[in-house]
Amino acid sequence: MTSVSETPTITTRNAVEEFLFHEAGLIDEWRLEEWLDLFTLDCTYEVPATDRPHADPGLTWSLIHDGRTMLEQRVIRLKKPEAHAEFPHSQTSRIVGNVRILAETDEMIAVTANFIINRAKSGKFDTYVGRYDYELIPGNSSFLIRRKRAVLAHDMLDPQGKISFII
Amino acid sequence: MTAEQFIIDDRENNLFRVNREAFTSEEVLQRERKEIFDKTWLYVGHESEIPGKNDFQTRDVGGRPVIFNRDRHGDVRVLLNTCLHRGSSVCRHSSGNAKIFTCFYHGWAYRNSGELVNVPGNEDYKSEPAAVYKGLQSPAQVDSYRGLYFVNFDPDAPDLLTFLGEARYFIDLAADQSPEGVAILEGTHKYSLKANWKLLVENSIDGYHAKSVHHTYFEMMMELGATPPMLGKETVNGVAPAGMGTEFPNGHATLMYPANGLPLATDSVKQTLANLRAQAEQTFGENYATAMFGLARNSVFFPSLILIDLSFGLTLRTFYPVSPSETLVTGWQIIPKGVDEEFVKYRINNALTFWGPAGLATPDDVEALEQAQKGFGARGEVGWSDVSKGMGKPVPAANDELQMRSWWREWNRRITGQQLPTEGTSFVPFDKQDVDA
Repeated sequence: MTSVSETPTITTRNAVEEFLFHEAGLIDEWRLEEWLDLFTLDCTYEVPATDRPHADPGLTWSLIHDGRTMLEQRVIRLKKPEAHAEFPHSQTSRIVGNVRILAETDEMIAVTANFIINRAKSGKFDTYVGRYDYELIPGNSSFLIRRKRAVLAHDMLDPQGKISFII
Repeated sequence: MTAEQFIIDDRENNLFRVNREAFTSEEVLQRERKEIFDKTWLYVGHESEIPGKNDFQTRDVGGRPVIFNRDRHGDVRVLLNTCLHRGSSVCRHSSGNAKIFTCFYHGWAYRNSGELVNVPGNEDYKSEPAAVYKGLQSPAQVDSYRGLYFVNFDPDAPDLLTFLGEARYFIDLAADQSPEGVAILEGTHKYSLKANWKLLVENSIDGYHAKSVHHTYFEMMMELGATPPMLGKETVNGVAPAGMGTEFPNGHATLMYPANGLPLATDSVKQTLANLRAQAEQTFGENYATAMFGLARNSVFFPSLILIDLSFGLTLRTFYPVSPSETLVTGWQIIPKGVDEEFVKYRINNALTFWGPAGLATPDDVEALEQAQKGFGARGEVGWSDVSKGMGKPVPAANDELQMRSWWREWNRRITGQQLPTEGTSFVPFDKQDVDA
């Protein structure tokens, strides 16, 4: 990071928020191919283990550490009726808030935000809570995601049990 | 309880059935706590999780809160995490490093080897607590095999090596993968499922469900150029392409089959693996090295320790019931020591594609078990589950159900006292002489 903007411009914040809300909508609507298009080819999508929230998912036994290839496969799989844990699809409704721009250069914007995801499936209602860390690459009119990291504020996956949808 | 018979083991017709009450009854769970979790060897942790002096991990084992730690001399301990005064936990962190464990309720303090060393207001006691209560209690027996620590709450239970018996060679196959030994990676999968714990035992050693439940996983792997398991042609160490199941005394069982290809492996990763294999061949002989690296294996150590080596990853899993229809699972990943970072990353990424609550396979297993538990609601009308597949075959395949029957016979012996004969003889697919040499 070469320069840090202590007070991001209103324009940037609005644009970042608009982008994150758009992403949240695509996932909630199960428009996963369009969601995938938001990522760069060298992207990572990470969820650390609940007992090692600060660890590098590349070198620890995390919950998710996908590169582009595996992320594509995750999406392809989730759209098949044989992805049993998600058929019928669970219904999710996510709130993304407390969006903060931590650093901003011409090449990259580091963003953090909180999330609450409510998920309904088979008569059960679960809540997933945590923090997103993003590395966004500014484009012509919007952004691409180079890194998305969802850090759960859970000490274990109970009663949620599993993360079988895109978090 | 109305149903006293939990299994039907009909050798004449090769039919094996399990009473679905076993999965739903609170009374059965109480008997399991008394006859199984109070009396068998239960897994606590691996020595690599507490590498240094005063390191600790807290765990729940067989319903008891325990501290798995090294004391100030470096000796491994298992301490029951309950103050002798009024019961509170003396350690509330999941892991860390501590010389002293202090109960926050009234301040009683214990050294990490257990001794009670400080009682606030000690002078008010006529009988000194330190003299009366000595220190934190430990399970009746604590023992280890190849770095895996176990406890047994029954002082009269046979020792760990006797209990593991011949099945311990499947622990050897994991532990011998590097001359420097193996370690548990940092990071734990902790999750729950709304199903009886015995359904997860069955699922963990079930080769039959793979094609139907994990269809999407195999499609994905083939897309990425990997060889799916059980579709190979070659016999490996006497194990046929379809694999085989084998049973051991005390309810342990294994299924094995020729290993997967190496999805996403780079040349460097293949070289590291070839080096590990060459070292194993040199130390233990070719057969043993082939069993280690050429066969995939799912093993259960009674009651609920699972070791699965799919060659692209090696997972250890244990779980305990919360209620008849709820289970808490803990899963770890094992890695050979002394390998480069690229190899570690490869193993993690491949193993994560399959395992864990956010993997591309495990959630579908959980879905199947939760649906089965739901189905048991109709046990009044449909009272029995079938576990007969491959029964009567001289050599049951990996996708037959011998492993489950073996486990169920031991469960049944402990719960009802009824002893049933095994189906065949145990099979270990390598030359044991090489290991002992």
